[in-house]
Amino acid sequence: MSETLLIAEQSEIIRKGLFQITHDLNVFSSIKELACPSGIKDVIIRYKPSMLIVNPSFINAQGLSELKELTNGEMPVIAIVYALFDDDYIGLFDDVVMVGDTRQKIRKKITELLNKTLEKDNRKPEDALSSRELDVLKLLVRGNSNKEISDKLFISTHTVISHRKNITQKLNIKSVAGLTVYAILNQIISMDDVS
Amino acid sequence: MTEIIVSAKTKLADIIMQDKRALVLFPRFGIELGVGNRSVKQECINKGIDTDFFLLMVNVFLNKNYFPGGKLKKLDVDMLLRYLENSHQYYLEEKIPYLEQLIEEFKKRVDHPATKQLERFFMQYITEVKEHLAYEDQTAFPYVAALSEQVKSSKADISDIDYHIGVFEERHDNIEEKLSDLKALLIQHFPPHNDRYIRIRLLNELMDFEEDLINHARIEDKVLIPIVEQLEKKIG
Ligand SMILES: [Fe+2]
Repeated sequence: MSETLLIAEQSEIIRKGLFQITHDLNVFSSIKELACPSGIKDVIIRYKPSMLIVNPSFINAQGLSELKELTNGEMPVIAIVYALFDDDYIGLFDDVVMVGDTRQKIRKKITELLNKTLEKDNRKPEDALSSRELDVLKLLVRGNSNKEISDKLFISTHTVISHRKNITQKLNIKSVAGLTVYAILNQIISMDDVS
Repeated sequence: MTEIIVSAKTKLADIIMQDKRALVLFPRFGIELGVGNRSVKQECINKGIDTDFFLLMVNVFLNKNYFPGGKLKKLDVDMLLRYLENSHQYYLEEKIPYLEQLIEEFKKRVDHPATKQLERFFMQYITEVKEHLAYEDQTAFPYVAALSEQVKSSKADISDIDYHIGVFEERHDNIEEKLSDLKALLIQHFPPHNDRYIRIRLLNELMDFEEDLINHARIEDKVLIPIVEQLEKKIG
């Protein structure tokens, strides 16, 4: 896996400081530095960083949303704040690093943000159960037949069967007994609902 | 895994070295470890095992694509039944109790309401496996034995047994489905819970059991059923 971090900041002291702190994290295989705002877009297109730490004065609200669009919203952006900025503008960033923050605090922010992004990746919508599939699952593990489910949800048995097929495909579980374990595990039903 | 075709000259040790599944297979013929450099032929003579039968069973068990073909005609049905009963005994006395013990340990380690339900599901599965084994031991095998006896001596009478081996074939699917669900739950859905080693052991054992059952079912499908069909034809 190659994770690239881009640090865009004009102050060399701050840039190098951030470099050192993030380098020691051992999560980024490469860390790029940018000292002036010009060409930030090109650098991002070229290196496809998985995270950007940027001085808010390098861009503006519109520029930020352009960068987000450019990376399909998959690149979290952290603001380095040591001057006064409009709160509404700063609120658009995924997180904020202050110059006074400790090394631990900065690292925690970065790893948490990175984890959140990776989790979003894993939970592709096609793997999560739709709300209709959840309805079917709930009734199914409570012991309802396809016919009963179809009556209760006002859908055809054919649709019930097709929901069941999708549930099985997404979860890799076929039997009702196995689905019951899954439902309890994910608090879709409670133990009292079965037995 | 490269599949090996075993011949009369193959050394027993070489078979085990190359395919660990032979470890559980040999005891079913009464062959114990400490095999030295003995070949299949030697050991079969020592132990009074029909060499052709041994070769047929080992090759069907170890190789997915091995077709016994013409070798079936000469096969001793009683020996086959004894082998199958031995495998069932191994499941009942060795595999299943160990799996139960591992589930119990997993339950102790993972304190979650879903664990109780997993145990219930597992026990349901075990009950089904046991029912399946009991069905074969008490219904299918005695039927085959009586059938073979009748063909041999035309003494035994099975005309009052209302049974046909065709029923036998449909019964393996459910068991495999539940096992696959158990695996998916442990591999994909239970969150980590300070249970790493016990979960690995449990999965290892489940998958081992699964593979053994599949190979066992293959012997029943490719060896037992064709033989019984031949016997049924002879009787008419
Ligand atoms: Fe069997």
